[in-house]
Amino acid sequence: MKISCDDARPLVPSYLDGELSEAQASPLRTHLLDCPACREVAKEGKSLQRWFESEPESIAVPTGFAARVARRAFAGDPGLLVPEPSSSPAGRPRRTLLPFLLVATAVAAALLFVLAVAIQRESLPRSNNLEALPSRPPWLDAPAADASTPETPAAEAR
Amino acid sequence: MITMHEVAREDVQLVEEALGGNQLSFQLLIERYQDRIFALARHYTKSAVEVEDIVQDTFLKAYRRLETFQRQSSFSTWLYRIAVNTALDFLKRMGRSPVQAVEDPELSASPVRAQAGSGVAIAAPDARMRREEIARITAEVLSELPEIFRTVLVLREFEDMPYQQMADVLGISIGTVESRLFRARARFKEAMIRLYPEFAAAD
Repeated sequence: MKISCDDARPLVPSYLDGELSEAQASPLRTHLLDCPACREVAKEGKSLQRWFESEPESIAVPTGFAARVARRAFAGDPGLLVPEPSSSPAGRPRRTLLPFLLVATAVAAALLFVLAVAIQRESLPRSNNLEALPSRPPWLDAPAADASTPETPAAEAR
Repeated sequence: MITMHEVAREDVQLVEEALGGNQLSFQLLIERYQDRIFALARHYTKSAVEVEDIVQDTFLKAYRRLETFQRQSSFSTWLYRIAVNTALDFLKRMGRSPVQAVEDPELSASPVRAQAGSGVAIAAPDARMRREEIARITAEVLSELPEIFRTVLVLREFEDMPYQQMADVLGISIGTVESRLFRARARFKEAMIRLYPEFAAAD
């Protein structure tokens, strides 16, 4: 059975991954023999696969790893989701960072709150002394001119 | 020679014994799979301590969920599923999962697959390159990829998994495995040429 390039191309990755049945692979092989363009596609796929070499120097499994993990599992150790007890064979200091960060965040939040309140209280009395906006001069709000405010003499001077 | 079927039967036997309280049986299960899970975890972090953390957490989780393991399914697939999720959770927790797929990787596969062969192509590694060098470059390029793509490439290319097992491990259909793999390879080639233009295939 002959197949076209349009039929052949989508099959190439599965072919290279060894996922085609012989009934599918056989016409594809015939097509690849006849068609240099599709053969090139298959060659490119092969070239890509050659990059996936397993690393020669792997991280070795530590001695006694299986026995240790089995012991921890049977002791009810839930794993990383819970901070490790300090008696853990390999101390992992970064896990003690979480409680510290929580406390630090709480302290920072409290400080921020105190600061916010302080700023608000500080700003309240001052708001009366603010320069009036040009669009709404203070004498419009005040029925009688107040001699104690600095704006009034300026207004009178005009 | 031990067949796959025998391995699976022994796995189930060890699971039963571990559930019955036999710690040594669980230890034997770990010993059977520790090399493969270490190899898998290595693709998610370079730190030996972190690799060990991921593997240890995988087995601790597996023990806690041992009751949920379906006897008729493959223990290896079940364990890989836990391992991949543990590795991805770990990256997330470490704030090291910044590379998310922007495009929807599940978008219909056919238009993309029809373009097979278009776009960039890379040359095979030079015959004079050492394996360490090839592995280093590949690891660097893989680290540029969104986790979703990195994972399918690792399972397919390094773990040599058939599509069906990948689908079972990732909880997706075979069609999705194919389209995700296709996109992952395209992204890998793009990243390779961006980082190492000297490996672009000569026309």
